Amino acid sequence: MSIALFLSVFLIAACGLIYELIAGTLASYLLGDTVFQFSTIIGCYLFAMGIGSYLSRFLHRGLVARFVSIELMVGVVGGFSSSLLFLAFAYTEAFRLVLYMVVIMVGTLVGLEIPLLMRILKERFQFRELVSHVLTFDYLGALGASLLFPILLVPKLGLVRSALVFGIFNAGVALWSTYLFREQISRSRLLRAGCFVVLALLGAGTVFADRISSAADNSLYADQVIFSRTTPYQRIVLTKWKDDLRLFLNSHLQFSSRDEYRYHEALVHPGLAALPGARHVLVLGGGDGLAVREILKYPSVESITLVDLDPEMTHLFSTHAVMSALNQHSLTNARVHVINADAFRWLDTNTEQYDFIVADFPDPTSYALGKLFTTAFYRLAAKHLASGGLIVVQSTSPLFARQSYWCIVESVKQAGLRVYPYHVYVPSFGEWGYVIGSFAPYEPPRQLPTGLRFLSTANVAELFVFPVDMQPVPAEPNRLNDQVLVRYYEQEWKDVAH
Amino acid sequence: MDGFSRREFFGAPALLGLWRKTDRRITGGFVNDSFPLGHRLRDGAEFRAPAQQLRVPIVIVGGGMAGLNAAWYLDKRGFHDFVLLEMEQQAGGNSRWGENEISRFPWAAHYVPVPAKGESLARELFEELGVLRDGKWDERALCFDPQERLFINGHWQEGIEPEDGATPKDRAQYRRFMEKVSEFRAAGQFTVPMEYGARPSPLDRMSMADWLVQQGFDSAPLGWYINYACRDDYGALAKDTSAWAGIQYFASREPEEKGPLTWPEGNGWIAARLIDKLKRHLRTGGAVYGVVRGGNQIRVLTEQTEYVADAVIWAAPTFLASYVIEGAPRAEGFQYSPWLTANLTLDRIPDQKNAEPAWDNVIYDSPALGYVNATHMSLATHVDRTVWTFYWSLAEYTPEAARRLLLARDWNYWKEAILHDLVRAHPDIRQCVAHIDIMRIGHAMARPSPGFLFSEHRARWLKPTGNIFFANSDLSGFSIFEEAQYRGVEAAKGALRLVGRA
Repeated sequence: MSIALFLSVFLIAACGLIYELIAGTLASYLLGDTVFQFSTIIGCYLFAMGIGSYLSRFLHRGLVARFVSIELMVGVVGGFSSSLLFLAFAYTEAFRLVLYMVVIMVGTLVGLEIPLLMRILKERFQFRELVSHVLTFDYLGALGASLLFPILLVPKLGLVRSALVFGIFNAGVALWSTYLFREQISRSRLLRAGCFVVLALLGAGTVFADRISSAADNSLYADQVIFSRTTPYQRIVLTKWKDDLRLFLNSHLQFSSRDEYRYHEALVHPGLAALPGARHVLVLGGGDGLAVREILKYPSVESITLVDLDPEMTHLFSTHAVMSALNQHSLTNARVHVINADAFRWLDTNTEQYDFIVADFPDPTSYALGKLFTTAFYRLAAKHLASGGLIVVQSTSPLFARQSYWCIVESVKQAGLRVYPYHVYVPSFGEWGYVIGSFAPYEPPRQLPTGLRFLSTANVAELFVFPVDMQPVPAEPNRLNDQVLVRYYEQEWKDVAH
Repeated sequence: MDGFSRREFFGAPALLGLWRKTDRRITGGFVNDSFPLGHRLRDGAEFRAPAQQLRVPIVIVGGGMAGLNAAWYLDKRGFHDFVLLEMEQQAGGNSRWGENEISRFPWAAHYVPVPAKGESLARELFEELGVLRDGKWDERALCFDPQERLFINGHWQEGIEPEDGATPKDRAQYRRFMEKVSEFRAAGQFTVPMEYGARPSPLDRMSMADWLVQQGFDSAPLGWYINYACRDDYGALAKDTSAWAGIQYFASREPEEKGPLTWPEGNGWIAARLIDKLKRHLRTGGAVYGVVRGGNQIRVLTEQTEYVADAVIWAAPTFLASYVIEGAPRAEGFQYSPWLTANLTLDRIPDQKNAEPAWDNVIYDSPALGYVNATHMSLATHVDRTVWTFYWSLAEYTPEAARRLLLARDWNYWKEAILHDLVRAHPDIRQCVAHIDIMRIGHAMARPSPGFLFSEHRARWLKPTGNIFFANSDLSGFSIFEEAQYRGVEAAKGALRLVGRA
């Protein structure tokens, strides 16, 4: 009997800590700044527990029934806490408000549990013994939860299911209490019915947990968010599902680690392999270091200058273990110079010449980004090309945004360059387009670096062949004073979405 | 329990940053006030006698666009024996500009419509400045996309012509108005500069508002749009603007390229380049307080120097002539709209919701003219601070009443009025603005009141009086860059002929 009693203390303590950990983890996943999230959540939670303990003095009669109802409430609020928070993040602006309200509610309810339980048990044990036992099991429960959470729960169950499972434990304790203390309650039948309802609810939640997460993720990210930060320039989100790492900038997919090699090999090698003896390379955008990784495969390249707007981006891909493994530590290579600057302005104030220039900017979703795809930009870039040099431009999808693609090609052409458009299939993106610009005639390379996973001398020339559904359509060039590209792009991707 | 719940209640919002934000302190003041000196000239105050005398064949009075272009023309034709006198410390007149740690910004004139093929003078200057090369305009000097937007019905629409909420009837009237404009354009009288094509017309005898009524245009948004155009270019309401001038605004332009030409500092970019070319001729900070004719020579008096000239180009506003030139009559009929411009330093960009910021930003039904964003012409993709130039022509008052109001109210009044106007479109504006400098210009731009353009009053100043040539843009009846340039160059031609160098 007494062991059973103290086991329930162990369980409810574990549950309480799990909810706190879930809130902290979720907040740092979604908002970043782990130290701030955990500190404030632990603080609020403990403070709310204090409120609960204080409030317990105002509960006088029917303590067991009260305890059972509180357990049920903890079970529901805590059990659905992560579902609620995911949905709040996906669909509302009030994520922080919901977060701290959940933390304060759960904390207050958990704060009521132990004082009530101690008062219920005070007739059965000596005070000295009671305090010692209850607190011992309380702390043991906390230890159990804190070990279980990172080792078993997050990797195996995920955040949504973990919370629901522990909600079931709370409801289980409630149900069990109706039997343990049956002589102390009057309306045990009603309470038990309540317990079953809550159990059914949480059980259903556990079964449909996947659907809950996907409801939240439909507008968000399909996978587990492993890094998220809002910088002054953009929102960086990294997600991971099994071995697939994905980077999103402002909710736009930048790469999936499963097929980014196709994108980056096609971005770099058709141009660079055609320039034997290229020594100086400039990468504009591409703060993930993946294009740089490909460029480093050329021993002749002495220097690579990477210009990316966002220092957080280049810092992340220089230092984060998973990300720097993906780019093979390219950003910390001695041949690489990382510069955090606005590419157009930087290029305008710089006089260096480069053998190969990579323009790997996010798609032209706004007039601000559209400037980086204008004839004025390509004219400026062309001035920085060493004699015989090439520029390659990531140019959105020639299939989904056909006119946008050919608009970019036309813009490079209007800057006085010969254009060589090509495309590749990247499963996570679909058909993707590039264009090489050059003053001199260009021919696809006959030799490629070893160790490529997609490109070979056999297929590189094929990239320049466009099937009928991607062939040129008339498009105006994109100019600073008339950014047709931004309008084409908006229209074409809207059509794809519908 | 009460205590706890209250703390819990108030604690959470504070933690979440939901606290009501207190308005920040905004610094600033009036800048470039020119009326004290102007009023001294008007009131015939005492000035110091010049310390030295210099013999200079041609003296240009006034360093705004007209004076700078007169000087540019003399210099270009190989005549270098002249001085350009500007009473302010900074030349440029309405094309003056400023600069802070964020950007350069205009103080008034901020664009030039892309000059058409026939505008040879403007094209010549822009070729010299590298803006026009081999018949192609420099993309970086053409206003970046998106050019204009209008805040109407609670959100921003692209373009200033009110589209949002326009009924089929409104749209039909827009079309009919544009057809009328095309007819006028084809008739060839509405040219830039105006002197090339302008012929006396009954249109000048009625107001733009009356013409709209006469033509059956009664669409409210069309009326707003045309009234806005008059306020913007002439500082006058449509009912106070000559219909000829109102039509000129629309019919004189048929740009070959999407423009206009603009720079972060507006037309200050042009002024700065002209000043740099002409700096050895330029004398700033010395007001001309007297122009005295004697025989074939003219004495031009400043407190520093008395210039003895063969010809004078009077590029200052024409109304000042009677206060300074001995024997000059009053400039009857000339009216000037006063303006207020303000440069707002924003160290945070207001929340734009989903609208992309444009270069020219106008609020529907606002008494002011909106603002121009100085960093719009930046090549950067990301801007976190900026400068806005806010324009207000006070057109609903008579020029005299508006001038009195400009002087009567303090900086705080105007600051509040500006923020009050902007807050409709930018609810968080008070949290974004750090500094507001305000410039009051009493006689900012010539106003083409009905009847003025083809009046005797205007015609009499087009001819030189003796060896004084008048050059201000107000001779055209309205103050735009091309008119200033044309008048300046015409006066320079006359002066060259007089000194026997043409």
